[in-house]
Amino acid sequence: MTKYIIQRIFWLFVVLFVVSFITFSLMHLVPGGPWDREKALDERVVAALNAKYGLDKPFIVQFGNYIAGIFRGDLGVSYSRQDRDVTAILLEGLPKTATLGITAFILAILIGVPLGMAAALKQNSIIDYISVLFATVFASIPGFVLGILLMIIFSVTLHWLPTGGWGSVRQVIMPAFALATLPAAFIARITRASTLEVMRQDYVRTARAMGIKHRVILIRHILRNALIPVITVAGPELAFLVSGSFIIENLFSIPGIGRLFVNGVFARDYGLIMGTILFYAFAVAFINLVVDIMYGVIDPRIRYD
Amino acid sequence: MSDAPLLDVRDLSVNFHTQDGIVRAVDGVSYNVSRGETIALVGESGCGKTVSALSILRLIPDPPGKIVSGQTLFDGQDLLSLPANRMEDIRGDRIAMIFQEPLTSLDPVLTIGRQITEALERHRDMHGHVAMEEAIRLLKLVGIPQPDQRVKDYPHQFSGGMRQRAMIALAISCEPELIIADEPTTVVDVTIQAQLLELIRSITERLNTALILITHNLGIVARYARRVYVMYAGHIVEHGSALDIYQRPYHPYTKGLLASVPRLDEPRKIRLQPVEGQPPDLIQLPKGCAFGPRCAGCTDGCRESSPPLIEIAPGHFAACS
Amino acid sequence: MTVITESVRAHRSLWGDAFIRLRRNRLAITGGVIILLVALTTIIYPFLSKYDFASQDLDSVLTGPSKEHWLGTDELGRDVLTRLIFGARTSLAVGIFTQLIVLGIGLPIGAISGAAGGKIDNFIMRFVDVMYAFPDLLLIILLRAILGGSIYMIFFAIGLVSWVGVARLVRGQTLSLKQRDFVTAARVSGGSGSYVTTRHLIPNSLGPVIVAVTFNIPRAIFAEAALAYIGIGVKPPTPSWGAMIRDGNNVIFAAPHLVLFPAIAIAILMLSFTFLGDGLRDALDPRLRR
Repeated sequence: MTKYIIQRIFWLFVVLFVVSFITFSLMHLVPGGPWDREKALDERVVAALNAKYGLDKPFIVQFGNYIAGIFRGDLGVSYSRQDRDVTAILLEGLPKTATLGITAFILAILIGVPLGMAAALKQNSIIDYISVLFATVFASIPGFVLGILLMIIFSVTLHWLPTGGWGSVRQVIMPAFALATLPAAFIARITRASTLEVMRQDYVRTARAMGIKHRVILIRHILRNALIPVITVAGPELAFLVSGSFIIENLFSIPGIGRLFVNGVFARDYGLIMGTILFYAFAVAFINLVVDIMYGVIDPRIRYD
Repeated sequence: MSDAPLLDVRDLSVNFHTQDGIVRAVDGVSYNVSRGETIALVGESGCGKTVSALSILRLIPDPPGKIVSGQTLFDGQDLLSLPANRMEDIRGDRIAMIFQEPLTSLDPVLTIGRQITEALERHRDMHGHVAMEEAIRLLKLVGIPQPDQRVKDYPHQFSGGMRQRAMIALAISCEPELIIADEPTTVVDVTIQAQLLELIRSITERLNTALILITHNLGIVARYARRVYVMYAGHIVEHGSALDIYQRPYHPYTKGLLASVPRLDEPRKIRLQPVEGQPPDLIQLPKGCAFGPRCAGCTDGCRESSPPLIEIAPGHFAACS
Repeated sequence: MTVITESVRAHRSLWGDAFIRLRRNRLAITGGVIILLVALTTIIYPFLSKYDFASQDLDSVLTGPSKEHWLGTDELGRDVLTRLIFGARTSLAVGIFTQLIVLGIGLPIGAISGAAGGKIDNFIMRFVDVMYAFPDLLLIILLRAILGGSIYMIFFAIGLVSWVGVARLVRGQTLSLKQRDFVTAARVSGGSGSYVTTRHLIPNSLGPVIVAVTFNIPRAIFAEAALAYIGIGVKPPTPSWGAMIRDGNNVIFAAPHLVLFPAIAIAILMLSFTFLGDGLRDALDPRLRR
């Protein structure tokens, strides 16, 4: 098991390295430079700035310096906001993005899992039908479309909730829900399919043959086995939530990492762009790693391989 | 045996509703077992033996299955008319089942010990340490080495034969009065087969448990079963004592089955004689005898109507004209 | 000896069977019909409408639905319905053309990876893993920044990021087909590599690939809308639903319909493709065949 973890961690670093390299290269292909403003700066000023930030050095050297910096926790300097370094900027946006992502994730599970299970346990009933419809419909509507609809209903029409900003609980509700519905639908679908599958298994029949009470079978046998595939799916969903929230952040004016990224792309702020992509890639990979480990904990068959 | 039978299945019929039509998996089947007695239910795959057994425990999935008629009297009580929670009490406690495929029949995420203690908690009110000790004792009883360590292992860590022993341990954990063993040795190889059957026999003898042994393998039946029921296409076509069936088979199907079993005392060069033809389509059964299309001695009378079970000798019945 | 008779079920090809099952799936049919209607509308509408998507009428700005303008006007007096329909054209184009790129890259890479096996397969799969590690949308944005805003470049940007799923799928299919007996039989009968590939590998992989592509389309539509929403979509004045939402967001309190209609439009189109995809997947699932 430990060997498995170590292998995965090693692989994590390899992937991150390649991701940084590709991103770094792509960034340098973006037309224009970080100093482009409305009015073109004087050439010498540009040259001086480039020298100051090491942008005149060869590509490989720049890349090497960057990677070295990462290990020190230094993701470089933001070119559009030269008084801040990227790490600081990211750390400022992180709590908001993370809170939003985690809240949405918890919501998605709280909605998706019970819905999926109820549908499977009472197959072909009203609950089943509604849950399948919910899952199919909401799995296809992107979060920000839903966000808009929510905003129109609850902010514009009913004036119950604010349209955006950050700081109070009321401001989290709509973005969190908008973000959560797609994963919730997905999770509901997987949970339902998985529960149905488990219910047909021979070992459930054995438990019934031994007269174990239905409720006990449900919790001890069905739930645990049914959740295994759900966890496999839930992990990437969490990763998606943390990284994919930025459109929602834009919509609801939440000062998280997503907004920073978009601003960064516009300003051709290399530092910020690199830092953000790396951060997301790391978050996704890390979460997937955690999921893999959890998978080993829950399913003993994996553990002893 | 002068007592009334422990289990008396009367005229049981079970249908399955499928997209292609209604499958009459079990059609008017009757058999019984007395206390401490071992009987065998024999027939090829799909003949309805497993379905009839599952019906006793009311484990037929509904839909698509449905028990349409009959009674299953256990100790005088008709199980089919019991309320569900009473039936739950009986399962595992007074009647237990050993399934064919132990790998899929055991929960992969729970230890063997846990699955046994689960039954002990349910029916014997044993918990914690006490239950675990009992589980270890049971594993030892079925011949699993190092039971105190193995009790903490997961099903996939056991070999096929060991898993089946664990299933047997589970089945006997609450000392049931009746055990139904559905093809308990089909998935293991021949040497383990013999060991497992001996194990089952010694346990049922010791605990005076009645046993219904379900199998398609006539070869193993003789040594263990007192009486044998032969099933075909959802019907019992012949039954009697093991001696009757083996030495004086009457129904052509029974004869065919016997002829197709390889025997150690025959010269190797003799060709095996399989039963001619294909198993019937249970949705479109012929009007008369279900075995008719495959029977060399089929008459017009047979084709007209299905022959009933008649007593051709004391205690020996066959459904053939 | 006795004569044995068997009943024989009528033979149906995989495609015939699939088509029949698809027809029975009402959601899928609804989705398909909606897509068709939208496509037809985008083609016919320009000939019927008196409005152009760019023509402004600064006298009637931000009006609600009326007889003149069925869905109202936006902040520059442009007819919302017209812009919506032209936006549909953009979305459909993006949805479909990106898939051509996805197939163009993903199919060969997947097939080569699966067929070649060994080191090549390993290398390609590692690369695929890396691609998976990238947050999709962010990479698309970056590519868009590099490639520019013409609609073809947007196809390309989205396609370049989305081929991975199809590649993996095709590789999986190829691998499992490689093991199958009929491939060995074909090769033993003298079929060359490419013969086997075209006659056997491709028709057998087609089903799942079609399903994957159908599910990819709504994602591509979403990606384009997202790009437009942030402001780096197709260059204006080409209408895009995402851009409409972005512009409408500023006046959401005064004229919510400007945001509502494109949002609903995106939802409906994406839903339609998803229903169709679900239906196709169920219809083509060989395990459900009788």
